[in-house]
Amino acid sequence: MASGCPAAFGDPTEVREGFLCPLCLKDLQAFRQLQAHYEEQHPGEDRDVRAQLRNLVQKAKRAKKKLLKQEDDDRTGSGSQEQYESFSYGGVDPYMWEPQEVGAMRSHLSEFKKHRAARIDHYVVEVNKLIIRLEKLTSFDRANTESAKIRAIEKSVVPWVSDQDVPFCPDCGTKFSIRNRRHHCRLCGSIMCKKCMEFVSLPLASKLTSASKEALGSHTSPNSSPSSVHGSRRGSISSISSVSSVLDEKDDERIRCCQHCKDTLLKREQQIDEKEYTPEIVKLYEKLRLCMDKVDQKAPEYIRMAESLNAGETSYNLDHANDLRVEIQKMYEFIDALSKKILSLGLHEDPQPHPKILQLQRMIRYSATLFVQEKLLGLMSLPTKDQYEELKKKRLHMVALETQGKQEEKQKEFISMSASVVNGDETDMKKGTVRKSEGWLPTSSISRESERADPLLQQIDNITSFIKQAKAANRIDEVHTLQENLMQLQDEYDQQQTLKAIELSKKQAEEEEIQREELQVLREKEWEREHHKFMSQHSRTHSLDFREVKQHLDVTWIRGDTNFETPAVEQLQAKEHMTFTLKPQNAPQCDKDQDQPACLNPFEDEADTPQVEEDPSNPFAKDTSPVVSFSNTAQQSDKKEYNPFDSEEEDEQSNGAPGSTSNPFEEDENPFEKPGGSWNSGNPFEEGSSINPFEVDDGSEIPGEEAIEEELLLQQIDNIKAYIFDAKHSGRLDEVEVLTENLKELKHTLAKQKEKSNC
Amino acid sequence: MNAVLAVRQYVSKMIEDSGPGMKVLLMDRETTGAVSVVYTQSEILQREVYLFERLDSPNREPMKHLKAICFLRPTKENVELLVQELRRPKYSVYFIYFSNVISKSDVKALAEADEQEVVAEVQEFYGDYIAVNPHVFSLNLLGCCRGRSWDPAQLTRTTQGLTALLLSLKKCPMIRYQLSSEPAKRLAECVKQVITKEYELFDFRRTEVPPLLLILDRSDDAITPLLNQWTYQAMVHELLGINNNRIDLSRVPGISKDLREVVLSAENDEFYANNMYLNFAEIGTNIKNLMEDFQRRKPKEQQKLESIADMKAFVENYPQFKKMSGTVSKHVTVVGELSRLVAERNLLEVSEVEQELACQNDHSSALQSVRRLLQSPRVSELDAARLVMLYALRYERHGSSGLPALLEELRGRGGSDRYRKLVSAVVEYGGKRARGSDLFSPKDAVAITKQFLKGLKGIENVYTQHQPLLQETLDQLIKGKLKDSQYPYLGPNTLRDRPQDIIVFLIGGATYEEALAVFNLNRSNPGVRVVLGGTTIHNTRSFLEEVTAAGFRGQSTGSSQVPPRSSSRR
Repeated sequence: MASGCPAAFGDPTEVREGFLCPLCLKDLQAFRQLQAHYEEQHPGEDRDVRAQLRNLVQKAKRAKKKLLKQEDDDRTGSGSQEQYESFSYGGVDPYMWEPQEVGAMRSHLSEFKKHRAARIDHYVVEVNKLIIRLEKLTSFDRANTESAKIRAIEKSVVPWVSDQDVPFCPDCGTKFSIRNRRHHCRLCGSIMCKKCMEFVSLPLASKLTSASKEALGSHTSPNSSPSSVHGSRRGSISSISSVSSVLDEKDDERIRCCQHCKDTLLKREQQIDEKEYTPEIVKLYEKLRLCMDKVDQKAPEYIRMAESLNAGETSYNLDHANDLRVEIQKMYEFIDALSKKILSLGLHEDPQPHPKILQLQRMIRYSATLFVQEKLLGLMSLPTKDQYEELKKKRLHMVALETQGKQEEKQKEFISMSASVVNGDETDMKKGTVRKSEGWLPTSSISRESERADPLLQQIDNITSFIKQAKAANRIDEVHTLQENLMQLQDEYDQQQTLKAIELSKKQAEEEEIQREELQVLREKEWEREHHKFMSQHSRTHSLDFREVKQHLDVTWIRGDTNFETPAVEQLQAKEHMTFTLKPQNAPQCDKDQDQPACLNPFEDEADTPQVEEDPSNPFAKDTSPVVSFSNTAQQSDKKEYNPFDSEEEDEQSNGAPGSTSNPFEEDENPFEKPGGSWNSGNPFEEGSSINPFEVDDGSEIPGEEAIEEELLLQQIDNIKAYIFDAKHSGRLDEVEVLTENLKELKHTLAKQKEKSNC
Repeated sequence: MNAVLAVRQYVSKMIEDSGPGMKVLLMDRETTGAVSVVYTQSEILQREVYLFERLDSPNREPMKHLKAICFLRPTKENVELLVQELRRPKYSVYFIYFSNVISKSDVKALAEADEQEVVAEVQEFYGDYIAVNPHVFSLNLLGCCRGRSWDPAQLTRTTQGLTALLLSLKKCPMIRYQLSSEPAKRLAECVKQVITKEYELFDFRRTEVPPLLLILDRSDDAITPLLNQWTYQAMVHELLGINNNRIDLSRVPGISKDLREVVLSAENDEFYANNMYLNFAEIGTNIKNLMEDFQRRKPKEQQKLESIADMKAFVENYPQFKKMSGTVSKHVTVVGELSRLVAERNLLEVSEVEQELACQNDHSSALQSVRRLLQSPRVSELDAARLVMLYALRYERHGSSGLPALLEELRGRGGSDRYRKLVSAVVEYGGKRARGSDLFSPKDAVAITKQFLKGLKGIENVYTQHQPLLQETLDQLIKGKLKDSQYPYLGPNTLRDRPQDIIVFLIGGATYEEALAVFNLNRSNPGVRVVLGGTTIHNTRSFLEEVTAAGFRGQSTGSSQVPPRSSSRR
């Protein structure tokens, strides 16, 4: 519409369209411009033209709107039609009938209230009357007053119905006689027989009157003043009456009344009681609802955050999300605790609560469980910092994929060039991710499974997969050593169950800090050196079993080498040992996992290790081989003083459990699968060994895994708890058992974790 | 026009109105059913309703910290119970909702009982029926007629139920009824009366084409409830029985404890919603797929979750898994039981003959087939009886009726006298004399051609040839061809256009076969919405009870003649 015909100004036959000025035929691109132009250029012209112009445009606008709207309608209409037609013949499935408004309803409340108001007035007057009379009846010292006098007072409060008028008991209909005497209600004066007679005890009377006094006092009703004056004189009721009354026993301690009056008074009493009493369950329930509301409020926000973070976006802060998560999880804990408390309310009291009350408690608990289940399990987990970094990178990766593709090709060339390459890397390369180019890799499926498993188990898994790969590569000697390794590990795993070591972990903690610093420095040095070498040689394509692991060792030992060149062997040993045991602290769990085979290797595979280094192209060969052998001796001598197995086991003990929780180090444990830098982060040692040209930039970030881990532990515990309720509920006891065990384990771990972090 | 939604919205509104806090839902027998079919327990729990009580339950404990939502029918007993309740309230506040119109005097009685001012709301919410499906409702009334006229109490209840449905759907309809049925006319008049009396209530926004209420009588089609069914919902009802969406499986051999009673609700069970109208063979396939899907999702090491990793994965998948496992075990059990019964009772063969009787017109072959099955020991007593009933209805006036011989054979099989008597009772109930329209032979040339063409095409499925009479009736109604002479309007006004919103009500009970037919009509007719209701939803057993309750006892000796009607009539 806006684009008129381009040129051909001079052609008179040309039909021009667009926002043309009616006077100068200038094409203005839009209506607003046209209007501005008109007002600017032709101010003197006829107003009509202008008005006409505006009018025209408005019309057009309206028409356009209508048209568009219709189009929209058509589209949605036909769309839905199509939808239905896909499985029907044009009609509508009754399940799809359009939403309808709520059905008809009619309120009777106003009429109800009208009737009630009339009735209530009547009722209130009646109750008040009774209470005032009760007040009068109890306002004197009944015990010390003669019964005749009492009777006189009672008669003065309310006129008694005369005996002659009532030949039969109005309640039960028995005839009055000398035996069946008439009794008068002291509150309303009516007559009944002894059977139908009720009493109001003095404590009840005083309760009723004092309560109504308070109420009346606040209302300042005219009735209140006289009664309260009377009431103040009470108080000496408790004086002991030694004289038993002659005819009507104990009549001084209670007031006779009819059933009707008693009923009214009892109702009143109940009301008074209820006003003051808030049962425990209500308080707890209110708290529970508060928590639920908070969750309802926060959870969507969190989910939004988590989604965004998990996509690697940077619009939210990971820490904030973590805080929010912790907050929500706390709420869940509250909900759980509160509902549990509600469930157990009154269970230990002697008269068990009414079954309905217990049912109510059960239902509340059940619904809380449902709530937790539904919401908590929908709560997606956050990436750890490492993961997040990696996710962010992934995103960048996607962008930079093309350039990387080229680089990967180069990388592949390296591999194909080096003849000795036999490993599973190539497949990984094909996946288009950048990673280390050597070493047996745990097959991806296995590593996936073992991601969060006990580190030892995981290691076993890894080795199993190594063996497979080695077999496939026909490296029988390696298979052998690996199998030995595996056996060792399995033994170890068995032993681990029986040994404990808390002392050591404490010792470790003491020196942890120093060690870490030292290590850091050394690692960096080492890394630089290695990197240098690597860059110059470019052909570190050796396939080694435990290549990576060895590199760890290398680094460690090299560290020992460089740092303690002068000190005697003994010192070194000590140091060696320290670092060894400390490692898990420095970089929790994950690198521990990788350490394990390394620790074992020196004992088992002395023959094997050198073989590794035989490869000339390995830049490390020269460095490491002497060190390794040295370290072996060192370790062996170490054995005499301190059983290295012990220490290892202790490590495993202290680390195995946390490792067995939902593991935050999934990525770290599977560096093979992950592209780029993330696998550096968790493990300071690996950084040295992962000399991948693409990874160089990935900073040496060491996140505080400890906190995250704990949090994840908590989360896991929550999850399992929720699951247990459910299993219990549906009566799958075997599941419950397994779960409870797991839960225990987790809690144990958590406690340990906390202990550790406190040290 | 969605009945389920209508009741659901009422219940939601009640809960909403009562505000936050712990609540108890106080109901009577019938409203309990009405609520339970539209809301699941867990759904309602999430809305802070923790207890469900019957108003007449004697051992209710006072719990002053609860709010009470009372959803009650406005019966005399309920009002009386409520009056007592209010005199000594057990809960802190009462929100009272009556499922139908309540009299002013009852309101007054309640108001006067409320001395402690615990009542916060008194309303009428017209959820006075069981919403079985969005397009199906029932009143759960068995035995609504005595002879050929209404049981007065049931007429009142039916009128209430039907008007409640109209109010909940906000429809003020024109009424048509089946001329041949006295009960239909009576009900139509009663409904009209209520509409006139409560004209303020029925003052809804006018639609271009006014809605239509069509009232029919079951006796016009006694065949449909006698047939074995092969679509899921209908079959379950026929063989196991559905009562307010619940199925009693306790008689199933080797049933596990938690499957004694299962709920089949299309609202909460996706598998059921997708399969309720499919036939048995299709369900077999689908359930196999469901199983496979389930197996796939099932954690690999079911026996023991060894590592935390397994655990976590399991827990993460758990809600879905659990839901699925519930669905799977439920449907596998139900379908398993169905197929067991089909095999045990030789239902395929029985059904084939039933369909032959109902849909074809070959007396000698039909008679032969029935005879053959009567001799088979595998055919159950009920099935044998129903075959004879179908034969008796179909060839009621046939020249060479084999009915006496068949009855003799039925006697020879042993078993109780009851079914033999029922044969003549059914004929009495739904025989030619009772029918207003012709159930069997096509009425006009068009219909004849149609049937002929159908014959040519061949039958797609032998077991589902039968189409209920209702389908034909509604089809004509939708096309505007339903004869005024047979189905007159109540009152002077008639509908000029084709109807769009149709409520069809079957006195004497509808069936799930008809529910399916209405479902298909809804799907195949754009712009038309049909809701089917009945005094109840029948299977063969309940239908025979209905016939018995109506007082048609029949004669103990079989005879091909129609027995005199008057003897058992009240």
